[in-house]
Amino acid sequence: MADMVKVTIDGHELEVPKGTTILEAAKRVGTEVPHYCYHPGMSSPAMCRLCLVDVEGAPKPMPSCVTTVMDGQVVHTQSEKALANRQGVLEFYLVNHPLDCPICDMSGECNLQDYVHEEGRKQGRGREPKRVFGRDDFGGDVLFYGDRCVMCTRCVRFMSEVEQDDRLTVVERGNRSVIDTFFAEGLDGTNWHGNIVDICPVGALVSKDFLHKARAWDLTHTPSICTSCSQGCNIDLHTRDNLVQRIKPRENLDVNGWWICDHGRHDYEWMNRGDRLEAPLARDGSTSRATGWKDALRGVLDGAAASSGGVRAIASAGSSNEDLGALRALVDALGGGEIVYRSARAADEIPLKGYPTLARRRDLAPNTTGANLMGMTRVGGDDATGGLEGVASHEGVVIVLGDRLDDVGADFGEKASLYVYLGTHDVPGASAAHFVLPVATHAESEGTFTNREGRVQRFEPALQAPGMARPAWLVLGALTAERTGGGVARTAPDAFAALGSTVPAFSGIGYGDIGSRGAVVNESVSLTGD
Amino acid sequence: MSETPFRNPGWAGNTGEFDLTEEQVRGEDFVGDRPAHGGHASGAGAMPYMLAEKNPDVALFEGEYQERFEKILTRYPTKQAALLPALGLAQEIRGYVSPDSMDRVAELLDLSPAYVRGVATFYTMYNKRPVGRHLVQVCTNISCNLNGADEVVEAFLRYTDTELGETSEDGHFTVIEAECLAACGFPTCVQINSRYFENVTPDQVPQICERLKSEGK
Repeated sequence: MADMVKVTIDGHELEVPKGTTILEAAKRVGTEVPHYCYHPGMSSPAMCRLCLVDVEGAPKPMPSCVTTVMDGQVVHTQSEKALANRQGVLEFYLVNHPLDCPICDMSGECNLQDYVHEEGRKQGRGREPKRVFGRDDFGGDVLFYGDRCVMCTRCVRFMSEVEQDDRLTVVERGNRSVIDTFFAEGLDGTNWHGNIVDICPVGALVSKDFLHKARAWDLTHTPSICTSCSQGCNIDLHTRDNLVQRIKPRENLDVNGWWICDHGRHDYEWMNRGDRLEAPLARDGSTSRATGWKDALRGVLDGAAASSGGVRAIASAGSSNEDLGALRALVDALGGGEIVYRSARAADEIPLKGYPTLARRRDLAPNTTGANLMGMTRVGGDDATGGLEGVASHEGVVIVLGDRLDDVGADFGEKASLYVYLGTHDVPGASAAHFVLPVATHAESEGTFTNREGRVQRFEPALQAPGMARPAWLVLGALTAERTGGGVARTAPDAFAALGSTVPAFSGIGYGDIGSRGAVVNESVSLTGD
Repeated sequence: MSETPFRNPGWAGNTGEFDLTEEQVRGEDFVGDRPAHGGHASGAGAMPYMLAEKNPDVALFEGEYQERFEKILTRYPTKQAALLPALGLAQEIRGYVSPDSMDRVAELLDLSPAYVRGVATFYTMYNKRPVGRHLVQVCTNISCNLNGADEVVEAFLRYTDTELGETSEDGHFTVIEAECLAACGFPTCVQINSRYFENVTPDQVPQICERLKSEGK
C-alpha cells in the first residue's frame, strides 16, 4: 500500500501506516520506549526527553513520541547511545526526587521506579541538598507531592485538553517549577479529575481515597464494567483481602478511551459491605429460618406449583444480562407475566468534552438496555421509587430480583401466594417474602452488561461471594430447569448462550466474540432519553 | 517637568536630535507612567525611573487605563496574545501582579486564572509581591560579578537596611539580584525601575539612593 512505510526497529523490519510515531511503531515489535509526557490520549509536547531514540543518519537522538517513521528508517531503541542518553536523563530526574518509595502510593507501579531500576545508574552522584516543595491538597480526591513530580505536564494537559477546564498549570520556572492550581481554587467541582492520578507516571498525584491503603503489588486486577451509569466504562477492580480497594479505568477506545468519571471511580464501597445475606431464608409469618439451597429451591417450586393467578416480577437494571435472561426464562416457565424494573436517572449528563463519546449518562443503571431488550418495562420515577402498586397487590407469584424496595412497607407482597426475594441484603420490603435468596453482586460473579449503545461487555468475578450467595442466573436457572425438565446452565457463558436462544438481540454472540472490547447486539438500540 | 534642556543620554540618539526637551522626549500627556500617545519616537521604549505612586487596591483598567487596555487588545489577533502586556499594565497600576489582578486579567481575556498564574509566575519581570517605589536590580552575572557586583549589592542592602527581596521600611527600595542585564561593558550595572545605572561602585550607592529618594514624587 502506498501509505505504508517500512522501518527497522531494533532489527525487526515492519510495515506501519505513514504518520505513525516511532514510539507507537516500537510497541508493535514489543518494545516499550520509556516515556513520561507522551500519552496516547493527549498531545505530545516531547518535553520529558526520555523517549529519545537513536535513528541512523539523524545527527541527534530523536524524540520517538513525535517523530513519525520514514521509509527505510533504521531505529535503535536499545543501542549504547540510546541507553546512555536515557541513563543521563534519568539521573537528572532523580536530582531532586525524594526517593521516598517506601511510603509512596505509586511504588510498584511507578514509571520512574521501573525505568531507573531497568536502565538507571546504580548509585546517585548528587551531593547537593535536594529542593523541597512538600505537598499540596488540590481539592477533590487529589493530593500533590511536589518533590516526586517529573514535570511531564500530563495532568495539566488532561485538564486543558480532555476535561477542558484549565485548573492546573505550571507555576514558576526552572527547578522551582511546580504544578499548581490557581491559589486556593483547587479541583473541586470538576467531575473527571481522578484521571490525573491515573496518568501521573510517578507518585506526584495520588488519590486521597486510596492514600496508604494498599501496596500496588498486593492488588489483584480484575476486568470489570462500571455500574454507575449506562455508559458501561471498562474498569479494573483492584482487590485485596476480598475487598475492592479502588477502581481504575481500563482502556477501551470504543467506550471510554482511557478515562472514567469520579462518580464511577468512587462508587465501590457498596461492593464491600459486610451485612450481606449469606444463606437462603425461609419465612413464615414472623419466623425467619436459614435453610439450605436444596430446601429453599424445593420450597419455591412447591409454592409456585400451588399458586395461581400468574407471575409478576420486579427486576433490576443493575443485574447482568444472564440474571435478567434467567429471570425471564423462569417467569415464562411459570406461565408468563409482566417484568418491571426501576432505575434512577440523573438530571443532567456530565460530558467529558475532549472525548465526545464519553459522558456520565443520565441513565444511572448499567444494564437498562439489556432489560429493555428482554421485554422488561421501566416503571416509577427518576429517583427509582414508586410504580410498584400493580405488583404489591398481585395475588399470584411475585419474584423480586435485585431491587432494594426502599420505598415500600413491610407489608409488600403480603397478598402474594408466593413471594420470592433475590437480593444481596435483607431489606424491610422482603419481610413478607416466603423465601429470601442470597445472590452475588456483579463483582462476585461473571457476566455481561449491555450498555446504552447496545454493546455487550463482560465482567469477571473479583471477590468471593459471602456464604452461600450464588449468582442469580444459577439460582433462577436451576428453578427453571427443575420446573421444565430442561438442562441447566452451569457457567456464565452457558447462561448467556441460553439467553441468545430466546432473545434474538443476543443470538449468535458468544463470550469469545465479546472479548475484552465488547460486541454490539443484533438489534438497533434507541439512544433517546439518555 | 524641568525647564533645562533634556540631554538625551544616548539611548535615543539614533534620531539625531540631541536638543530635545524632556517634554518632547517623554510626551506631555501621561497615562500612568507612559506617554498617552507613545511620546517621541526616540523615547518610545523608555520608562521613567521614578514610578508614580502605586495603589495595590485600585480597580484595574478603569478610565484612562481602560483605554490603554483596549488599545492593547487591538494590537493582537487573539485575546490570549494580549496577556503579557495586560499583566504589565496591571503591574504598572498596582505595583505588582496580585492574585486578584491575575483573576481579573483572566476574566477579561477569557482565560483560566490558573493559566494566567502560570504565565505570570514564569516571567521574572512581573513582581508577584509588592515592591518599593524603586526596584533595584543589581546584575550579579559574570562580568559584573568580576567587577565587584557583590559589594554593590552589599552596599544597597546596607543603605536600605533590608535583606534581598525585602522592601525598606520607608517603602522606597526593594533590592534584588538580576541575571545579565546586557550591559557587560559597563559593570556593575544596576537597573532601577526602567533606568540603567552603569559602572556603579559601592561608594556611589548612598548618593544614588539619596537622589532617588529626594526626587521621588
